[in-house]
Amino acid sequence: MAFFSGLAAEGYDRQYSDRQLVVRMAGYFKPYTKRLVAISIFLVLIALAGASVPAFVARGVDALEKSLSNQWIALLVAAVLFAEVLVWAANWQRRRLTVRTIGDIVLTLRTDAFRAAAQHDLSFYDVFASGKVVSRITSDTQEFGQTVVLVTDLISQIFQALILGALLVVIEWRLTLLVFAFLPLVFLVAFSFRRLARKVTRTGMQAMANVNATIKETVSGIAVAKNFRQEASIFKSFDQANKTSYRVNVRRGLVLSMVFPVLNVVGGLGTALLVYVGGLSVTRGIATAGAWFLFLQSLDRFFFPVLNLSAFWAQVQLGLAASERVFALMDAETAVVQTSHNPVPRLQGDIRFEHVSFKYASQEPVLEDFNLHIYPGETIALVGHTGAGKTSIAKLIARFYEFQQGKILIDGRDIRTLDIQQYRSQLGIVSQVPFLFSGSVAENICYSCPDADRLAEIEHLARQIGDGEWLEALPQGLETEVGERGSRLSMGQRQLVSLMRVLIQQPAIFILDEATASIDPFTEWQIQQALQMILARTTSILIAHRLSTVKAAHRIIVLDHGKIIEEGNHHSLLEQGGHYATLYNTYFRHQSIAYAETSRSLIEGDS
Amino acid sequence: MAATLSASEFTVPPHIKTNRRGAVPWLLSYVAHYWYLLLMMLLGAVSNAALAAYVPMLIGEAFNAILASPPQMSALLRIALLIAFSQLLRGVLQFCRNFGAELVGQRVERDIRHELYASLLGKSMTFHSLQPVGDTMARATNDVREVNFLFSPGLNLVVGSGIFILMPVLIAPRYHPSLILTPLLYTIAYFLALWRYLHELQPITSDVRKAFGRLNSRLAEALDGIETVKGMAQEASEVERFGENARRYRNAFVQQGDVEARFIPLLVLGLAEAGALLHSLILFQRGLLDVGQVVAYFGLIQLFGFPTFVSLFAYSQISLGIAGARRILELINRENNLDQNLSGYSQPMQGAIEFKGVHFAYQEDETVLEDISFVVKPGQTVAIVGQTGAGKTTLAKLVNRTYDVSQGQVLIDGVDVRDWNLSALRQNISIIEQDIFLFSRTIAENIAFGKPNATREEIERAARAAQAEEFILSLDKGYDTVIGERGVTLSGGQRQRLALARAFLTNPRILILDDSTSSIDSETEDRIQKAIYTAAQGRTTLIITHRLSQIRWADLILVMRKGRLMAIGRHEELMRTSPAYRRIFSE
Repeated sequence: MAFFSGLAAEGYDRQYSDRQLVVRMAGYFKPYTKRLVAISIFLVLIALAGASVPAFVARGVDALEKSLSNQWIALLVAAVLFAEVLVWAANWQRRRLTVRTIGDIVLTLRTDAFRAAAQHDLSFYDVFASGKVVSRITSDTQEFGQTVVLVTDLISQIFQALILGALLVVIEWRLTLLVFAFLPLVFLVAFSFRRLARKVTRTGMQAMANVNATIKETVSGIAVAKNFRQEASIFKSFDQANKTSYRVNVRRGLVLSMVFPVLNVVGGLGTALLVYVGGLSVTRGIATAGAWFLFLQSLDRFFFPVLNLSAFWAQVQLGLAASERVFALMDAETAVVQTSHNPVPRLQGDIRFEHVSFKYASQEPVLEDFNLHIYPGETIALVGHTGAGKTSIAKLIARFYEFQQGKILIDGRDIRTLDIQQYRSQLGIVSQVPFLFSGSVAENICYSCPDADRLAEIEHLARQIGDGEWLEALPQGLETEVGERGSRLSMGQRQLVSLMRVLIQQPAIFILDEATASIDPFTEWQIQQALQMILARTTSILIAHRLSTVKAAHRIIVLDHGKIIEEGNHHSLLEQGGHYATLYNTYFRHQSIAYAETSRSLIEGDS
Repeated sequence: MAATLSASEFTVPPHIKTNRRGAVPWLLSYVAHYWYLLLMMLLGAVSNAALAAYVPMLIGEAFNAILASPPQMSALLRIALLIAFSQLLRGVLQFCRNFGAELVGQRVERDIRHELYASLLGKSMTFHSLQPVGDTMARATNDVREVNFLFSPGLNLVVGSGIFILMPVLIAPRYHPSLILTPLLYTIAYFLALWRYLHELQPITSDVRKAFGRLNSRLAEALDGIETVKGMAQEASEVERFGENARRYRNAFVQQGDVEARFIPLLVLGLAEAGALLHSLILFQRGLLDVGQVVAYFGLIQLFGFPTFVSLFAYSQISLGIAGARRILELINRENNLDQNLSGYSQPMQGAIEFKGVHFAYQEDETVLEDISFVVKPGQTVAIVGQTGAGKTTLAKLVNRTYDVSQGQVLIDGVDVRDWNLSALRQNISIIEQDIFLFSRTIAENIAFGKPNATREEIERAARAAQAEEFILSLDKGYDTVIGERGVTLSGGQRQRLALARAFLTNPRILILDDSTSSIDSETEDRIQKAIYTAAQGRTTLIITHRLSQIRWADLILVMRKGRLMAIGRHEELMRTSPAYRRIFSE
């Protein structure tokens, strides 16, 4: 489908034929066959009753040439009344059923899409921004649902128009031709306006995006401007942007203001023609006055379906494209595959890399023929420049990525044969930017607790860390809301919460990608305390950025381009004066107390 | 900059004087300003409806002309031409209505944004430090847009369709006085049904919106934190939670659909058509109406179709617009508690700072600072240390009156800051915040932000002093590199050095630095240390810092805990007296 080439396509997008799409969507509709049948019956009812109203009235007009009996009037009005109420009631029921069907289908579609998304491994999320995945799960499914609503509405209108059209043909085919001759014109006008509107809207959108960016910048910059008393200059940039926005939007408004007036003129001309030609037909005896009336009434009823029809195809395409994006998300293949799912008892924490080769999708290899043995209870620190492979090692242990060659053995068992859920529940992982979910501090600490209420235990643990000083800064203690993604807590507090999470979880293996953010020395001291508590109980793999962490490791592994180039503890390696010593001078020296002591003389000597 | 004697910090002469007592009077003062556009819209609306009503009247005449014996063919032609011309004219007038409303909407949007922005610029630093930028942005873009939509399509359709309702009521009695009955009944029933419908729908729509927001934000979080989810093996529980949220949304969505499906005004329209038919046929039977009049009357009743259908969204557009206006006005009217104090003290500043028994609370019962007292001599460097939330930033912001103390005094050169001329005070104090905001302008312009007439030489000298020159020259266009353009982004340390360069140019007597950036490597660290050291020379400097080296060498160290000064002194003293302090200097 060439149509959505303009929309942002993702690497996992695949092309489905329209047939495949329709078949797959039909699968989602299948459980609701009964409802669909009922909806169709209502559609037929609506169309029949809708077309019958003008037909009844036309009969009335014909009867006006004779004298009317009371009974006849009562009958006619009753028929009209019945038809009107039926249209309303059938519409009501149709829409109730439709909204239920759509609601349920979208619900299933969404849940399926999210389940699939949660199964995708991290290599998927490295490549595809999570924001776009979110929009597939919510917006695209929504779009799909809306399209179905629009399509059923349009089908109902068209159906009604067709029945009316058939009636007209039966009554007078020449006048019917005249009415139908008008419809392509309406279609054309509507269609060209759509194109024009799309064009001005697109340029308008671009201009608006610029303007909004300027407004954003000038609003965010207010504080700085005030600091330097530059209000006048910032006001000028705002004013210009605001005026530009006005000009662009007026141009767009001009086009949109014309649409309905032009369509009304077209309709008015059609009515004028029909009044004349119809009147002529009546005098010649070709049509009755009632028929003439019916034709005049019908013009309007063809108008709307045709207007909507001009937008129909684009809408259907949008809906198909949306469903295609959702299906593509579901069908994206998973790279991490377990060969079996053997249960995992409590681990010792023995980790062995044997001739492991690993690369991220279509990139240079990160690890090649890599060997490393981490002993149960050992604490190792991985150091090296960016891209040395530190993070990759940690993520392979977490089984977030698939490696290409070699073996990783956990307690002597192939990592690929383990039940991944059971295995991961024995890992404690803290990432560089610790992630918290909105909710309270306690809820976050207890994210994976099966039984919810462990507040006393948490409280007890929290007090053990730095005398619980960190709790003081939280306004409601453990009940403090952390905000979206933990935004209301400082980086240091987030670290502490995620370390607490690990302490509660009591994993066998601990993986820490240490934060590089600056943390105040008081919180830092508490973090170190929490860290010590964890290290004492687990096999630990630390990607170290802090001097104190490197020093705490039993063994430091110095990595360069996926190879181990040095091993040992802090003091022995520093004495060797090799690669580690260089790394120390580059990344760790400024964190030492010695640096604090000597920095002043360094600076003063320099300036 | 024009210094006026108003209470605000900065004023722009207003475009339009507005009444800010309430959202509706406020909007009316704009509308009054554009009365001619509104008049154009109103005239367009009235004549559009009148000409639309003219068609069924003419059709009625056509029926009479044809059914007369002999049929009057020339009259038929005249009627057909009249319909054609009247509808051409109607198109033009309807365009006037639409475009008039559109213009009012666009202009009001522009003017409101102008007024809002000017008022924001006039507000105190306190206001801006408390007001989240995201919220202000939402009001300056979305809410302002909602006000625009209030006029077009909102008001346009409400007025346009309102006059459509009026037409049958006015014209039907021409044929027979009693024919006013159905239009009148319809009008009453329509408004009652609509009122009920909108009231019923409103809470449900907001439920739907809330449910969707919840679904979406939890989903976004779960996917952003997918590593955490997987790492803790919580996929199944997240799927369950998502399913719950999605189901809650589905239920709200169905509930809304149910209300919308049972749209009573549509039934009312059907009943009106049947009633009109009955009434006109009875009158015809008694010879009180002719055929053409029956046809015309029935056609007039069908004019009600337009108001019935637009009411689905036109009225809610108006209430959304008023809600938007209320939010904007609330921001404009929010109290502004500092004034310029033009007659205040404005001698050259020396840079001595004294806190005397300072207490501070944002709100009555939320004490942030308690009983803080200390003295800083001109030229000293002060390190403020403590946990997040200990009150370090708040303390620093009392110095330039971003906030005013609740109790006690902050003195600069022995004069209470509240007695200083605000402009003189602020010009001599520079604050470099934790998040450094840079404009999408060139680096040179960003450095010269506080001194727009600085020469290139001065700018370069400032950049050198701030240790920023090296990285600036490494950029493609050096000083003329536009920040944010083609992916030019700067690290925290680089931003900080640009901010320091800014401060070198304005040469303040007091520098307040929130230094929470971290350096990955020791070389960058050396540079930042050097830049800050140079900046601190010859001026009083307050540094909120995490760096041991800065704390170690400060002339005075303030150790804060829970809003109180826990310890104060030089490094050597604190190593002796404060165990907490000693702890951070132990390896």
